[in-house]
Amino acid sequence: MTIAVLLKQVPDTTAKISVNGGRVDESAVSKWSFSPYDEYALEAALQLKEVAGGELVAITAGPARCEKLLRDAAAVGADTLVHISAENVNDLDSIQIQKLLAAAVEKSGASVIFCGKQAADTNAGSTGPGVAELIGASCVTLVSEVAADGAGYTATRPSSSGHEKVGVSAPCVFAFDKGLTEMRRPNVRGIMMAKKKPIETWSVAYLGVDIGASSVNIDSHSPPAEKPPGQKFEGAESVSTVVGKLRDEANVI
Amino acid sequence: MPYEALDFYDVDSLLTEEERMVRDMVRDFVDEDVIPKIEYACRDGVFPDEWRVALGEMGVLGAPLEGYGCSGLSYTAYGVICRELERGDSGLRSFASVQGSLAMYPIWDFGSEEQKQHYLPKMASGEWIGCFGLTEPDYGSNPGDMITKAEDMGGHYLLNGAKMWITNGTIAQVAIVWAKLDGVIRGFIVEKDDPGFSAPEMKGKHSLKASVTSELVFQDCKIPKDRLLPNVEGLRGPFSCLNNARYGISWGAVGAAQACFDSARDYSLSRIQFTHPIASYQLVQNKLSWMLREITKAQLLAYHLGQKKDAGTWIPEQISLAKMNNVDIALEIAREARDIHGANGILDEYCIMRHMANLESVKTYEGTHDIHNLILGRHITGIQAFTREL
Ligand SMILES: Cc1cc2nc3c(=O)[nH]c(=O)nc-3n(C[C@H](O)[C@H](O)[C@H](O)COP(=O)(O)OP(=O)(O)OC[C@H]3O[C@@H](n4cnc5c(N)ncnc54)[C@H](O)[C@@H]3O)c2cc1C
Repeated sequence: MTIAVLLKQVPDTTAKISVNGGRVDESAVSKWSFSPYDEYALEAALQLKEVAGGELVAITAGPARCEKLLRDAAAVGADTLVHISAENVNDLDSIQIQKLLAAAVEKSGASVIFCGKQAADTNAGSTGPGVAELIGASCVTLVSEVAADGAGYTATRPSSSGHEKVGVSAPCVFAFDKGLTEMRRPNVRGIMMAKKKPIETWSVAYLGVDIGASSVNIDSHSPPAEKPPGQKFEGAESVSTVVGKLRDEANVI
Repeated sequence: MPYEALDFYDVDSLLTEEERMVRDMVRDFVDEDVIPKIEYACRDGVFPDEWRVALGEMGVLGAPLEGYGCSGLSYTAYGVICRELERGDSGLRSFASVQGSLAMYPIWDFGSEEQKQHYLPKMASGEWIGCFGLTEPDYGSNPGDMITKAEDMGGHYLLNGAKMWITNGTIAQVAIVWAKLDGVIRGFIVEKDDPGFSAPEMKGKHSLKASVTSELVFQDCKIPKDRLLPNVEGLRGPFSCLNNARYGISWGAVGAAQACFDSARDYSLSRIQFTHPIASYQLVQNKLSWMLREITKAQLLAYHLGQKKDAGTWIPEQISLAKMNNVDIALEIAREARDIHGANGILDEYCIMRHMANLESVKTYEGTHDIHNLILGRHITGIQAFTREL
């Protein structure tokens, strides 16, 4: 069995984001990391591999900087590393990316696919279901846990009354929410092995898939509006002013 | 605010990808498992056992040693590990230094094949803790005059004497003890349960509170013959260990200094006095830019020494200079950072006073600041000034 994990490299959630000429300035991003939900997906995939066996292939699409992400995945236990080289990844829309990922998944021979429910940068949230649709797989979203149960897999996801367990068989896609366990820390042995592991670079042409034209055009990025400065009131005499502001401006009472 | 490691000259870009991955691994460990617990560990005066487990799992104990379950990383990587650990706390770095450079290294370099196979894998995994007994109550800077002695009783050795200030002593399964056998300094492996051996903890430290410091007491302590380290005699034994540990400290001190700088910069930007952030005043900027200057120099020193260690082109005096300089500036930076934090600087909400108190120990152990000056003085002039006796 081959398990694929779809991973996206995003600016670390602690990194400062600056916008330059209407676009996020990638050169100013001090730290790139796994998208957080992808970490849960990777950890769950590693755990599944530990009980069910098989091989784990880590797949990412993006520019050359993404190779670091694959090495990090290898350091915690990914067996095969696939880099879909797409320097222009930011110009592609979600469907185009899904086509690339789906083609790579098919080429890898994976029948069980893990990914995050959404990426921390674009938050589009369509990769899991989109890839599942393209490869004709079942898809469970907002998953927190996956267990192998002989014939297939049981995925735990939230329901209106608590949690539900959904049984699926391969091919299937699990789009992860916060999982049960944080991604494991690598160790030196894993890091040394990761260094030696080859990265397979697959170009769009090599994948032989027609991704069509982007149907989405981003006009510009802009930073969130700055918060207005706080206001400070002291002493009993300001009570009525504060109450007035809470009622008329903040609409909280 | 997340920690931002000051690296003004991009020195880390000189590291290999593997060294950077090791750095990130240890940095994450420190962020997630050390910083949230360190103040509690200091208040209770304990070294949390889960840190031992984590260090073993990560594979950073005895990292530059090859074989016997050790990682075989570069000395540069070992330096980076020390730096990241000491950014958390000098006590944590002390644990790793003692385990790797002072307890595992002598077995690895001077031990028999059986000793290596028996001890090293369990020490690399953290299952067994090691300590290093050189200093005695009356012999600190001049360990050559130590009085702890071993006698050959035919079937076994008998150890008598006492060591003091021994990091990890009480929690160690394995002690590397330096003692005189027929007047010559030799290394012995003493195990926790050997008869006549005890390791009471020393209490009341204002520094390195999250590190265990102990006495080692030997009263007719009987140890088997195969516990002598066969391949070294004289002060060269302990000094080779110290060279490696001191090298690690020269990186470690940079980590402590970076932590203090980080805190001082953030604090000075947010603290308003006389209607402006104190960071906007020239006197404060002068302090911050001095810290930046010294940290940058210390980073370059540590990195270059790492390259020399890896190339095998170093001399001990170069290690003395780096240990002395980097601990010295780290301690001064901690003091300046404490000053910039004003009264807040004395609280355990900030890391600086803890680093400052820790660095006082770091300045003293592994050769005091002045002993390193004397080592350099002898190197420059060819005249030893340790003692009046020649
Ligand atoms: C927290 C902690 C942990 C330690 N862990 C260990 C350990 O694991 N194993 C171990 O063996 N030891 C350990 N030590 C001991 C440490 O190595 C010694 O404290 C150190 O070598 C200094 O010895 P001393 O304290 O006896 O000081 P002294 O040697 O008495 O020095 C006192 C002062 O005199 C100065 N001085 C001494 N000789 C001269 C001279 N000739 N000329 C000019 N000045 C001189 C020194 O520089 C210093 O300023 C530890 C110490 C501490 C504080």
